[in-house]
Amino acid sequence: MSEEKKQGKEHPLSIVINEAVKIFTDLGFEVATGPELEDEWHNFDALNFPKDHPARDMQDTFFIKDKPGYVLRTHTSNTQIHFMEKFVKDGRKPPFAIVVPGKVFRNEATDAGHEMQFYQLEGLMIGENVSVANMKWALLEFFKRFLGEDAEIRLRPSFFPFVEPGFEVDVKHNGKWMELLGAGMVHPNVLKNCGIDPKKYQGFAFGFGLDRVAMIKFGIPDIRLFYQGDLRLNQF
Amino acid sequence: MLISYNWLKWYIPEVPEPEKLAEVFSYHLCEVESLEKIPDKLVANGEDAIFDINILPNRAHDLLSHQGVARELASLLNIRFIDPMPKYKIPKSQPTKLEIAVKSEKCRRYMGRIVRNIKVGPSPDWVVADLEAMGQRSINNIVDAANIVMFDCGQPVHAFDLDKMGGKLIIRQAKNGENLITLDNRDWKLKSSDLVIADKEHVLAVAGIKGGKKPEVDDNTKNIILEVANFNPTSIRKTAQAFNIATDARKRFENDLSPELGSFAMQELSSLILEMCPDASFEEIIDVYPEKQETRKLSFGVEKVSKILGLNISIKEIEDILKRYCFEYKENNGKFEVVVPPMRLDLTIEEDMAEEIGRILGYDKVNPKVPKVQDTWKPKQNEIYSKILWARQKLLNDGYSEVMTYVFRDQGEVEVLASASDKKFLRTNLSDALKVSMNLNNINFYLFGVLDTKIFEIGTIFKKGGEEMHIAYGDKKEIKETSLEQFISPEFMREKVLPLGSPRQDLEEHKFKMWSLFPFIARDVAVWVPEGVKSEEVSKIIKENMGDMVIRGPELFDEFKKGSQVSYAFRLVFQSCERTLTDPEVNEIMTKITNKIKDKKTNGIGWQVR
Repeated sequence: MSEEKKQGKEHPLSIVINEAVKIFTDLGFEVATGPELEDEWHNFDALNFPKDHPARDMQDTFFIKDKPGYVLRTHTSNTQIHFMEKFVKDGRKPPFAIVVPGKVFRNEATDAGHEMQFYQLEGLMIGENVSVANMKWALLEFFKRFLGEDAEIRLRPSFFPFVEPGFEVDVKHNGKWMELLGAGMVHPNVLKNCGIDPKKYQGFAFGFGLDRVAMIKFGIPDIRLFYQGDLRLNQF
Repeated sequence: MLISYNWLKWYIPEVPEPEKLAEVFSYHLCEVESLEKIPDKLVANGEDAIFDINILPNRAHDLLSHQGVARELASLLNIRFIDPMPKYKIPKSQPTKLEIAVKSEKCRRYMGRIVRNIKVGPSPDWVVADLEAMGQRSINNIVDAANIVMFDCGQPVHAFDLDKMGGKLIIRQAKNGENLITLDNRDWKLKSSDLVIADKEHVLAVAGIKGGKKPEVDDNTKNIILEVANFNPTSIRKTAQAFNIATDARKRFENDLSPELGSFAMQELSSLILEMCPDASFEEIIDVYPEKQETRKLSFGVEKVSKILGLNISIKEIEDILKRYCFEYKENNGKFEVVVPPMRLDLTIEEDMAEEIGRILGYDKVNPKVPKVQDTWKPKQNEIYSKILWARQKLLNDGYSEVMTYVFRDQGEVEVLASASDKKFLRTNLSDALKVSMNLNNINFYLFGVLDTKIFEIGTIFKKGGEEMHIAYGDKKEIKETSLEQFISPEFMREKVLPLGSPRQDLEEHKFKMWSLFPFIARDVAVWVPEGVKSEEVSKIIKENMGDMVIRGPELFDEFKKGSQVSYAFRLVFQSCERTLTDPEVNEIMTKITNKIKDKKTNGIGWQVR
């Protein structure tokens, strides 16, 4: 066998995460990161989740034993709050645009399409005039660069506590529409909770599962294959 | 929620065909889970279409009903809505002695009406058919009428047998330890947080959730009390959760109904019962409604709505929508003030109107537009993420391959309260899982064509003191683990450009191939050839004779010279996707290859296999 040093093989999720981050940083987004073990303020309250919202049930969320008020984050949206809180504390003013890759957790039975841990990518852009039209541009541009020039997107009405209006975003790839993202215009309560004046500033947020996108992009049939530590997965 | 197309059509005769309607739902209202055609038993060769739609949580106040959906569609599509009210004959009311006492604020409205001289029996065909379309079984005319009202207008209602209960109706919190035998003969122990309907002595029902056995309407029932009530949604949810009960009534109550809906529901219920029992005598309605739902006003501007959507909307377009949706409104210079219809509990802020207008117009009207934030926003490099990228790059360059493993473990310092899995602790290190991964990959190392398996993982570990990003890497001999901070030396920090790959476009040729779950067999073959014979000539012979079970190889892994001869060693890995290969069959293939190599006819002299 040749003596030349062999390059290691990257995990497919890392490939997808880095490609996505590259595109969004090219589009003017800054990478932000946040904790995986999170308090309820950042994971729920600040994001306008009512106290009795079903997502706060133990059946859906991992609560930490002997640490009341703490959870494993259920979405990367916690990092929106961390970023905005610090941004305001540093005396800075919008506009800003961030993208957050990270691991999230859901307390649910696993199957080919569901895992208790998976990766999400979150985007947030706030400014004086940041609109649904701008969100459409950002997402369309992203998927064209990520999946190919023929990618299309469409919005359907949806509901999440931290946005208003809220959308489900479908993406067309290889002639097939797929439901891929949740998105919306950041709810004024969320901005207010972080000390940003919602009368003056507005903007969009979106999030999607990177595991699912990697499965689509590479044709990987089962989400659980990502976390087996099996190098046979690293084919790319 | 299930919606019958024919039921909708009763209210909106001009509703588009089912397939078109499914699109209207998807792009203007909510997701369609399924659309199923079923026979309509009331009409010869008739057909109905049943939609299963996911009403969004913010519209669950007003859209968990056929009438709600029909009104929405009539406004959305600007088509005729047939008001059912004139059809409902109002029974002439007799004076009543019914007494109702509401003793808990968790009951927001309670309407009761005594109906005498009813006749319990089978329901008319249309009622049976409509209930069947909703996946419900017909029970008797009174119970069915109650269910029809709920599926039609969204208000759950109930009927008690008047002669099986004593005196006045009391709506109160249960006493701790009080019990109720339910309609399905379960004995429920109640808590003080549960809201109940009672007479002077007994609990008759758990409010909004389950009726009791005692006042059950049966075949001999003559006189009944109709209940149309509105309860606190959180109270309903907590009690229903505690009793693990999921009914259509619970779903509607816990989503917060408008108390204003009660009047219509009582009217509809009364006239349905009159239709089924023409000799029934209706007494006056007792309506306890301590705090009337207040009329709310909402202001919004055409400018703000346009700014949110990124779409220029005219005053006229908004007025058109408000008229179609029957909003009372005033407009002044692009500023609107609307009176929010009582059922629309979802409309509270300006952004809600942006959503309303956006979805009605259709979000396809919004064209993508480049944001202007780039002029003043200068993104910075994220330190943690950059460090992860540099660390990964270094390890890949050093020949380590990346794995990811589970955060959940059998033991650790941080534990989760409840888990769908039996592993309730969070990992305190990456090394333990990396060792397991190493063993797995060592078994397979022939498949990778490298002599030494080297792997790494980058991920968070959790200790009592908090979480930390770690890196673990190693080979057969040793696994090292360190924090990301320690792994990254200062010289990395001087790097300016992040190693971020551009998206791959060659994916059509490089689709994932699932590996075989059957064992593989690896075999080597070494050959002496005269100097000057290229390795390709040998591998060509191997390829021609190795059959179709080889998943890797022939791979040249050794080569040396001795005198005028050269030795080439090749490795072949055999595996099937359908079965376990046997040694004899692989031996047979190897013998075939060896014989070919040794055969003079193959290359003139016959090479020597070592």
